Amino acid sequence: MSVPTTGRTTDELTAWLSDRIALYLKRRPQEIDPSVPLAEYGLDSVAALSLCGDIEEDFDLILEPTVAWDYPTVQALATHLAQSLAEPAAG
Amino acid sequence: MTSFRTFTELVLDRAAELGTEDAFIFLPDDANGSVPEHLSYAILDQEARRIASWLQANGAEGGQVLLLYPSGTDFIKAFTGCLYAGSVAVPAPLPTEQGQHFTRVSGILRDAEVRAVLTDSASAPEISAWLVSEGFTDVKCLATDTADHGDASAYRVPDLTPEHLAFLQYTSGSTSDPKGVMVSHRNLLANEAAIQNAAGTDGQTRFGGWLPFYHDMGLIGHILHPLYIGGSAVLLSPTSFLRRPHRWLKSIGDYGVTIGGGPNFAYDLCVRRVTDEQLAELDLSTWVSAANGAEPIRRETIEAFTRRFAPAGFKPESFFPCYGMAETTLLVSGTPKDRRPAVRTVDAAALEQGTLTDPVAEGTSRELVSSGVIHDFTVKIVDPDTRRERPEGSVGEIWVKGDSVASGYWKRPLTNVEIFDAHITDGDGGEDTGGWLRTGDLGALEDGELYVTGRLKELIIFSGRNLYPQDVERAVQATDKALGAGAGAVFTVETDRERLVVVQEVRISAVDGDLRSLATAIQSRIGQQLNVPAGNVILVRPGTIRKTTSGKIQRTLMRKLFLQGELTPLYEVLEPAVRGIVADAAGPALAATV
Repeated sequence: MSVPTTGRTTDELTAWLSDRIALYLKRRPQEIDPSVPLAEYGLDSVAALSLCGDIEEDFDLILEPTVAWDYPTVQALATHLAQSLAEPAAG
Repeated sequence: MTSFRTFTELVLDRAAELGTEDAFIFLPDDANGSVPEHLSYAILDQEARRIASWLQANGAEGGQVLLLYPSGTDFIKAFTGCLYAGSVAVPAPLPTEQGQHFTRVSGILRDAEVRAVLTDSASAPEISAWLVSEGFTDVKCLATDTADHGDASAYRVPDLTPEHLAFLQYTSGSTSDPKGVMVSHRNLLANEAAIQNAAGTDGQTRFGGWLPFYHDMGLIGHILHPLYIGGSAVLLSPTSFLRRPHRWLKSIGDYGVTIGGGPNFAYDLCVRRVTDEQLAELDLSTWVSAANGAEPIRRETIEAFTRRFAPAGFKPESFFPCYGMAETTLLVSGTPKDRRPAVRTVDAAALEQGTLTDPVAEGTSRELVSSGVIHDFTVKIVDPDTRRERPEGSVGEIWVKGDSVASGYWKRPLTNVEIFDAHITDGDGGEDTGGWLRTGDLGALEDGELYVTGRLKELIIFSGRNLYPQDVERAVQATDKALGAGAGAVFTVETDRERLVVVQEVRISAVDGDLRSLATAIQSRIGQQLNVPAGNVILVRPGTIRKTTSGKIQRTLMRKLFLQGELTPLYEVLEPAVRGIVADAAGPALAATV
């Protein structure tokens, strides 16, 4: 489960993502079920861009705003984020 | 203060006077360590002459010119080029940008009868292909960021009058029926003067903003007003701001910004997303006017922002709540300088009945933030049905008259008589000379303050953007074949903010998967393509959506039925805040029997 290159496990990333997404959507973090599509909580482009901005700030990883639609749940996003962080930095 | 007859004369004069001084500083996304781009008055002038000369040589003088650009100095050069050429600029969102589509721009292209399209070299191939696919083979497309067009020395200053159009502002009308507000040079100069009177700007004023350039507040406030006063502006793109809101606030201290703003949601975003570490680096002490307009203004946001950013030097009297719209060029009212926004607490029940009264002990109250005072317009509050003027402290439709009010929408004579030339009646069969703009907004005047309380039309406003319910309904129905065309109603309900609610009929026999997946697909489509949070979807049986005898969707009635808990869902997903305001269907009936 763990992602040794960054010291962040997918569990930690899941918690981080739930926390951020709850903030954008004005919900409590415990309301965000990692397996439920984010669209169901009313995700929109402002929230998707916010997420990209925060990922960039905290992980130094630049993602396209479409990422929140391509990986539509917290679970899928956490897995994708863990993989992206594990890859050696390109260019 | 100005003796200029047209905005073109004014910009030519400013350019000659201010030369190498910065007119604009554009901050690109700093992901790649890119450096700020400075555009001086002299360079702006030179580039505008080249573009104007190309427009004049290509038969676009006096005609409409569509501007399709990402945020950046290329748009500013092209817009100024249109002013110089005596062309009518038509700014529109770049369809290739994330979340934007060709559909709306195609509607604008057809309506505006454009003679040329200006864009940048990155977008030109796709734009040219789109023009061909739309059958506009005679409309020329120019990428203005290349070096090989236009001869600045061949440029001729056009012979313009104040009545010539400066630009068409397409922020009204649905996607299938876009309406372009005709803004003349007279309108534009009058509104720039009104903004100056309201905000007290001068040549030392520096703007700071991130609004889209095709948005009225972004264009007239953050680009044209700096030119009007001979000041400057520090700008970034909307995407850059939404990704990292603190960049906007950081630029205020870095560049000594004195004025700038956006819709209420922008301040809310800053409160929620700027971290303590980022806050520690900010200096907002130069910011004397933080404009808040283009969507409902919330006391909670104003207070939270003021509290959060006080340590960075933000002053409570800097907030500048204002009101305006594309139809009045931009600003109608604004909060006087050096004064805190006025907040009026009223009884909610009395407000629903149309009057502002002090709250009563047992009743619920509502807090209204004043949109400020009116200087350069006459504003009346009018009963939208009887067309009689309403007394002080009463709610009615806001009607506006003044030099900034546009003459109407492009090619819409019938609509224009109704919207731009309304008459107030005296109740005895007489009426005044007319010439009033019907804003479609509801509000009240009290002690000289304008309070905007709601909307007469079904228009939905999200993040300062105007959305038409029929556009959202069409997008919903395009999601799946099981969703009936013309069998849905979209409206907003008010909790701590406005929230979108989608009620849609579904034919169960035509559903492939489960209803939850169908609802999620709708939410995903609305959130991604229309950039609106769709937290509330109610799927209902055919026959649930109420229509008038002529087939018009009764959205106000559907909203009422929804709030009273009288809709029977096949499936529903509701945000907790919205669930909290929906009555238990049994509630009122039980209460009635007690």
